[in-house]
Amino acid sequence: MSVKNKSISEKTLQLTELVSWFDSGEFSLELALDKFKEAEKLALEIENDLNSLKNDIEIVKQKFDSKN
Amino acid sequence: MANQLQPIFSVSDFIAVVNQTLDFAYPTVEVEGEVSEFKINQSKFVFFNIKDSGASVGCFMTIWQMRVPIEDGMKVIVSAVPNVTKWGKFSLTIKSVRPSGEGALKKSFELLKAKLDSEGLFADERKRQLPRIPRHIAVISSTQAAGYADFIKILQDRWGGVKIDVAHTLVQGSDAPDQIINAINYFNQLEVLPEVLVIVRGGGSADDLAAFNDELLVRAIASSRIPTLVGVGHEIDMSLADLVADVRAATPSNAAQILVPDKNEIIRSVKTQINSLLPRIIQIIDQQKQIVIDILSGSIEKTNEKIDEQSKNISNLKDILSQLNPEKVLARGYALIRGKITVGSQIEIETNKVIMKAEVKNVSKK
Repeated sequence: MSVKNKSISEKTLQLTELVSWFDSGEFSLELALDKFKEAEKLALEIENDLNSLKNDIEIVKQKFDSKN
Repeated sequence: MANQLQPIFSVSDFIAVVNQTLDFAYPTVEVEGEVSEFKINQSKFVFFNIKDSGASVGCFMTIWQMRVPIEDGMKVIVSAVPNVTKWGKFSLTIKSVRPSGEGALKKSFELLKAKLDSEGLFADERKRQLPRIPRHIAVISSTQAAGYADFIKILQDRWGGVKIDVAHTLVQGSDAPDQIINAINYFNQLEVLPEVLVIVRGGGSADDLAAFNDELLVRAIASSRIPTLVGVGHEIDMSLADLVADVRAATPSNAAQILVPDKNEIIRSVKTQINSLLPRIIQIIDQQKQIVIDILSGSIEKTNEKIDEQSKNISNLKDILSQLNPEKVLARGYALIRGKITVGSQIEIETNKVIMKAEVKNVSKK
């Protein structure tokens, strides 16, 4: 499943699902390594996404004196 | 002669000239004194005197200008225009009045708190939840104040991707409440509303923070369409703006902590989740290995049991066979006779030690 263009919360949800797969009845050793690699990649993307997000601060030009 | 140079005023002109002179000399004055003879006429007009030990002066204002409760005995500072009325009475026309000194501030705070509380403005049922991760927030503060800097720093450290519109206003002094109210109204009239309205101001004296106990400001916060988060002063400071807000923060820094999650905590949690996976895989591999070992051990055990069983059978058969061996019978003293058992016939007799020839002399039935 591609993780491109997903929001951080979507990626976090996907990671949670991947992690819970390891505790689920669907777990199989044959798939475990691929799932682990996928989870590891997703975690790195989440970290990079979080660190690259910048806030956009804008001072409102309007004056708030009562006279205005 | 000198009298001829002096102008002769009508009474009205004289009062007008005096007022003009006053206006020129003292366009606005601030006077501190104790309130006495406080009264409200027709629910509109407020009259009282302010006095000290040596003098007293009358004051007038409309009830809408009274932003904090006052009563007799309270020490106040009035900002006012001095003038003489058409009846020749000197008075102060009040522009604003604020309590002065800790006692008066506290008294005024308690009076207004009781009033607003009775209207249900602080009720828990009115409180709205803030979005978990807001994408667009509005901040009202003084951009030069330390409290604002703290708020922005903590916010930047914790989270990103938020659009932050900041309204720069005064956060102390008599003009602060109106500026903050105007900013609240500005954000509430936007076509796309911010998700949270944050009002922050750092610590200060009771007088510095008095702006946040202004009745109209408290009502403006209460009527905001946007959920409000107020962080004013230090942890121990409690303003009416704090009480009326949907969410109260102890400090501006705490407001940022309440507003957004900490990305560093999320990164730590994600890493912990990933780090827990490999040991889990190894544990499952170990479990699987143990299952295979257990199955193999069981098979070997069963095979060994079968071999033992077969060995026993063979051993038994060998015993039986051994018993049937003629040599064993001969060894017990028996003899094997070969030949025809008739009188006169030659027979061969075999014992365990010798083979001998003999002739049958007699044959009789047993």
